Amino acid sequence: MWRPCGIFDATYEKDMAIIRTPRHWSALVVSLVILFLVPLFGSYYIVSFINYLAISVIVVLGLQVVSGYCGQISFGQAAFMAVGGYTSAVLTQKFGLSFWVALPLSGIFTGIYGLIGGAPSLRIKGFYLAVATIAIHFVTMWLLLHLEITGKSVGITVDSPSVGSFVFDTDERMFYIIMPIMLLMTFAARNLVRTRVGRAFVAVRDNDLAAQVMGINLYYYKLLAFFISCFYAGIAGSLWAHLTLVCHPEQFTLIHALWFIGMLIVGGMGSIPGVFFGVLFVRIIDELVLIFSPYLADWFPWLGMAPAAGLGMSAFGLVLAWFLIKEPRGLAHRWEILKASSRLYPFAY
Amino acid sequence: MMHSNRWRIAVFFLAIFGMGLLAGNVIAKEVIFLDLSDYTGPVAGLALPGSMGTEDYLKYINAKGGVDGVQIKYMGVDTRYDVARAISAFKRQRRNKKVVATGIVSTPVGKMMQALTKKERLVTHVPGDGEFQAHPGNFFAWGPVYQDAFSATIDWILDDWKKKSKSGAPKVAVLSWDSAYGREMLRGGKEYAEMKGVEILPSELFPPGSLKHDVYLTRLDKAGADYIYVGGVDPVQTNVMRDATALGLTKKIQFISDYWGPTALGISLHPDALEGMVVVSFFLRGQEAFDNPLMKELWTTVRKQPMDKFNEGYGIGVGAGMNLEGALKDAIKRVGAGKVSREEVWKSYQNLAGMSHAGISGPCTYGPKNRNGSEVVKFYRVTGGKIVPITDWVKTPDAVSLHNW
Repeated sequence: MWRPCGIFDATYEKDMAIIRTPRHWSALVVSLVILFLVPLFGSYYIVSFINYLAISVIVVLGLQVVSGYCGQISFGQAAFMAVGGYTSAVLTQKFGLSFWVALPLSGIFTGIYGLIGGAPSLRIKGFYLAVATIAIHFVTMWLLLHLEITGKSVGITVDSPSVGSFVFDTDERMFYIIMPIMLLMTFAARNLVRTRVGRAFVAVRDNDLAAQVMGINLYYYKLLAFFISCFYAGIAGSLWAHLTLVCHPEQFTLIHALWFIGMLIVGGMGSIPGVFFGVLFVRIIDELVLIFSPYLADWFPWLGMAPAAGLGMSAFGLVLAWFLIKEPRGLAHRWEILKASSRLYPFAY
Repeated sequence: MMHSNRWRIAVFFLAIFGMGLLAGNVIAKEVIFLDLSDYTGPVAGLALPGSMGTEDYLKYINAKGGVDGVQIKYMGVDTRYDVARAISAFKRQRRNKKVVATGIVSTPVGKMMQALTKKERLVTHVPGDGEFQAHPGNFFAWGPVYQDAFSATIDWILDDWKKKSKSGAPKVAVLSWDSAYGREMLRGGKEYAEMKGVEILPSELFPPGSLKHDVYLTRLDKAGADYIYVGGVDPVQTNVMRDATALGLTKKIQFISDYWGPTALGISLHPDALEGMVVVSFFLRGQEAFDNPLMKELWTTVRKQPMDKFNEGYGIGVGAGMNLEGALKDAIKRVGAGKVSREEVWKSYQNLAGMSHAGISGPCTYGPKNRNGSEVVKFYRVTGGKIVPITDWVKTPDAVSLHNW
């Protein structure tokens, strides 16, 4: 988009750059300015919704690395997010550490924990690995429900982050923590997949046997993918805990893990922009159901409030089925087609 | 031409402004009850009929002109027992001043909302966590909190034990969901039982969604349980009783269900499995519920459904609707319809002690330091495929104060 035919990368650096043209730069700057002005002018609901989207993006970015790029299906992302949230909660509430220290430590601890989750990938793959990660989910939930340090079934109440006497105790203030982290992690993920490591991930995904023959250490790269994925989930969990101010096992269910996978499918496996498309699309559908179900009940009184409000899962299921049948490569693929055709315009794609 | 266009534009904006003013008048005449319920998730069996009860009762009140002219709009959201979704729905309405009360049918959502709304005085209806009674704030339980009902059950067990002329003390076990809700009754309930000399065996907790309970039941049998208190939302109790019957345990162990046990509909589907089970309830069950004039009227005239499709959980929601109506009436009386705010409704909720629930549950007991919706329960037994009362309303002991919170 905005890179019409005739613009060539004359240097290696230019070819490597993510932001390539002055138009790209100006669009980026304008977008960022608008984005960071949202809490000042946007409604409370919009800001809280964007926070929610941004945290979802971080989790799904992690999932994109392990599943989309490295081909290791993981249903454990909600559990890993829980580990991150609990780590941050325990470190801040029980050990008195600052949120700013707890946040990276949550990511690192979850990454290390994720190595356990990723260990089965050394021996199994495909559906078998998926089932193994489901087992990791349940084991994690059991631990959270029974360990003294995690507050057992009661959970842990968490404080808002602060800098000196300034407390990030509203969604508007949390926005300025969540959003830069999300952008930073997106940038990191975008770069990661272009590196030697990223190419190794893709090789493992496309044909692990061929990758091994070429000298790629399967064990190392599979575990590295799990570590990175869980690091992302851990950071997202920590942000989530400090946004909602409570950590409870029932916040991180297997259904959430399914939603994350759904976002990946809708957005497109193996694409960083796809993560944004998937998260936006699925979450917006969910919000539309929330918004319109009361009106549906008003318009069709015989339907009643409850059945109308329950349409959300049906909508999600239908959308997912439609994408699997009609656009298995996700919205990211549509985006690529749109970009290509805009470059060639007025000629047909 | 230009001038006439300007006039048209001016008239258009004046019309919009006028509509805004009219809408402003409407706002003062309407408040919203935001119901963050679970219509399609694991506790839908409890939440759905309850939500229907509140929705219908509020419609019924509105059809009669509302509360002193103020209409109460019911706004229901299916949270699917999903905390993130519930937060999202709540946040959208958080600054909508018309929302004067919310309802939550989920322990984790309740805990999250408590943290989020601790600075606000937004009345929130919750099922029965004792934590909210221990630290009275903006959370109000539907009936007696879980530990109080469990303690009333301990009293009933002691009576039953005596009637059976058995010696020593009975051994009681809890078989419930492995969740915050599943253990809640023991926070204070255990202390009460110990105070009464009743031994509480180590609990058997299982993940929500489990279909077989043989292992837990066998362990409790080996531990010598005389009574097993079963938690969870039906069909949990039905499944437990099916397994217990197959193991031959129902002949030697008395099974007791907490509030969310089988309804008349569930019992009619599985009469043999549930035979003999005792149910503790703060709202009417079985034929008593079917015969309640208010619920009968609401179900048949507002919901427009035949009574054979009636679910007793409906009564919980009707009671919650009555509480909101009572509080709104009190707030309007104190400050006038134009000044009804969340804070005023919260204050009024604490003035509801003694308010009748049309016989559906005991009289309301909300007060400045009381968050119990009522303080009486009734015991029922499944007999011959029906759920019949075996006691009158029984006062629940205060078990919350026994626990170290």
